[in-house]
Amino acid sequence: MAEEQKKPKKRMTATQAAASIGPMVKEFIAGAVRAKAEGKQKLAYTFIVCHHEEILRALDVLPVWTENFAGVCGAKRDSERFLQRAESLGLSRSLCTYALCGIGFDQWREELGQMPPEAPWGGMPKPDFMISTGQILCDPRAKWYQASQQYMPDVPIYNMDLPYPLFEKDQDHRDVWGYYHKYIVNELRGLIKFLEEQTGKKMDYDRLRELADLSDRTWNLIHETYELRKAVPCPMGTGDAMNTMVPINFMMATQDSYNFFLNLNKELKEKIAKGEGEVENEKYRLLWGGGLPAWFALNDFNYFNSKGASFPAETTYRMIAPLYEMDIPETKDPVEHLAWRWLGYWTFWYDKARKRPGSEPDVERLINFIEEYKIDGVVMHEAFSCRTWHVGLIWQLHQLGKIYKPIPVYVVTKGKKEKTYRELPSLILESDIIDITSYSEVDTRNKIDVFIETLESIRKNRAD
Amino acid sequence: MTEYFAGIDIGSTMTKAVILENGVIASVIGPTGPEQRRLANKVMEEALRKAGLAFDAMTYIVSTGYGRINVPFADKQVTEISCHAKGVSSLFPDARTIVDIGGQDSKAITIDAHGRVTNFIMNDKCAAGSGRFVEVIADTVGLKLEQMGEVSLQSNHPAQISNICTIWAQQEVASRLAEGVPIPDLIAGVHRSLADRVARMVKRLKLQKEVILTGGGGKNKGLVKALSEQLDCEILVPPEPLITGALGAALLGKELYEKALRKNQPQEKKPRVLETVQIL
Repeated sequence: MAEEQKKPKKRMTATQAAASIGPMVKEFIAGAVRAKAEGKQKLAYTFIVCHHEEILRALDVLPVWTENFAGVCGAKRDSERFLQRAESLGLSRSLCTYALCGIGFDQWREELGQMPPEAPWGGMPKPDFMISTGQILCDPRAKWYQASQQYMPDVPIYNMDLPYPLFEKDQDHRDVWGYYHKYIVNELRGLIKFLEEQTGKKMDYDRLRELADLSDRTWNLIHETYELRKAVPCPMGTGDAMNTMVPINFMMATQDSYNFFLNLNKELKEKIAKGEGEVENEKYRLLWGGGLPAWFALNDFNYFNSKGASFPAETTYRMIAPLYEMDIPETKDPVEHLAWRWLGYWTFWYDKARKRPGSEPDVERLINFIEEYKIDGVVMHEAFSCRTWHVGLIWQLHQLGKIYKPIPVYVVTKGKKEKTYRELPSLILESDIIDITSYSEVDTRNKIDVFIETLESIRKNRAD
Repeated sequence: MTEYFAGIDIGSTMTKAVILENGVIASVIGPTGPEQRRLANKVMEEALRKAGLAFDAMTYIVSTGYGRINVPFADKQVTEISCHAKGVSSLFPDARTIVDIGGQDSKAITIDAHGRVTNFIMNDKCAAGSGRFVEVIADTVGLKLEQMGEVSLQSNHPAQISNICTIWAQQEVASRLAEGVPIPDLIAGVHRSLADRVARMVKRLKLQKEVILTGGGGKNKGLVKALSEQLDCEILVPPEPLITGALGAALLGKELYEKALRKNQPQEKKPRVLETVQIL
């Protein structure tokens, strides 16, 4: 009985492509364990969204995505023992639970000299080195590996700094981004030097250029594919996108990732042609406006679906933008290109945000999704342990409500009926990325029920 | 033929039922036990007895609250947020913000002139933001829950309760009691602490007047005073703040039924049978 309760109810996917992801992740985790045993490839602990996959793959380094492994532990509802172990090492539960899970796992594996018992999907092998980067936004990504290194003192760390110009309302970011570019190129060249030393191989810059080109083509294909979700009914929702984020974030610079999105593109076009939606009778179109998901509760997306709500778009893990719309300088040097692409991605919404009074890039991105995907409401997830997003999300929602009121409604003021405009309804779910003790299914679903009733009520009261 | 509508609200602590004709003809409040279905039957039977009606006479029944799915005889289930909105709006047509402080949670709802929900927020994570906080402290100071409001009004210097967790606050109150801090000051401090937590939640919505307090919290005059101070506005309380959810449920049932009749699409009714249901 206890085992049954521990296992989450399997989430139903709308697309075959999303359904194929589970075995794919299982295989690349198992693949890392095999590679470690064979000793033919160097293994690097590292983080997503660093625009360094091309460099790793060009030097035949196998990335071990530590955030991904923590997410797998969460999705399997098997993170608690690693979190508790991290706590017993003196780390607070209020720190990033991805980091706690990883540190707890590493300490346990190193203490045993082998994988912890029944390690999820075979476990995470000890890396040959670790590549960290906090970027601007996430300090655990800089500190995590330093903590893990206490238990693996022989494993070196290369810490990359990947900044980008912050948004200024009255300054064009292009005035300063040349300085940032120079700095990032330096950091990436430092990574290449570090990897060359660790692997004993020399960088093949032609191969690096080919891989960068493959990633660029994949980026554009992903953008084109996700844009298909604008269709009504929406053929694929955020629940599925929490699967299809895998080839975006963990498989970039591989032909497999490109092929995956070719197949998904085809599947979505077929669904659209047949009028097949994620939800049979789509009543509401929602935007997942941010926050990492509660990996142990992904079937909450099915619960939304059961109420006629689909999620055609999400900001989370859609870490690409169409390159052909980016205003970045052309260069034949692949390292310089990776740095420009980084800057182009993070500043993508700056120009638009400057044009709307009170807006900011993240808010502008939400507005863009709301308008292009015909969104009825915004759902966000406040994961308590993700401080990086926690504060910003609430602020974004507040700012969105302040500057963007698209819904015409009648209000009665002093007995007089007047037409006015109101903000989009929103729902903030509260729990964590992998700490299930923060989650209550009953409360979460009660909130979803209320939100659906609110959407219904607002629709009835529309003044158009 | 006279039409009767019933609303039954199974909250985490109390179960409430209302029977409506043109106005409320019967209402019942009882504690929610672990076997919610059996209690739903019991409360419904009691309401029918008070109204002098047979179960068959009920035209439409809506259940609400956390236990709404455990009412086998309900024709429809609606969340407590929508029901509170409807119930409060029927009593206070100018109400725009509802604060509900229940036994295990608290919530804030903004509504429009038609009693429709425009936004909501819930605290279901922490007992320190719910009526449970006052219950625990009542035990600690040896008072009955219903005495807490009146006693706290005797305070001129509310004590500072700094712990934000119910259990730690209980220990803090016990130690302040040992130090000789007067009970009225302690209780007033507890009310201020709870009101502060609830006010922070309410302020995440755009506070609009009139503000109505429902749930068990509405029965506590000291808490009403503390919340009024924290929100810096007058707080209105319904004559019976516990039944607004059940009242709203009955009203929504009436609306649904009448709307369906107008469309010539009669609503499907569940069998009117009060069966004892064993959960365990």
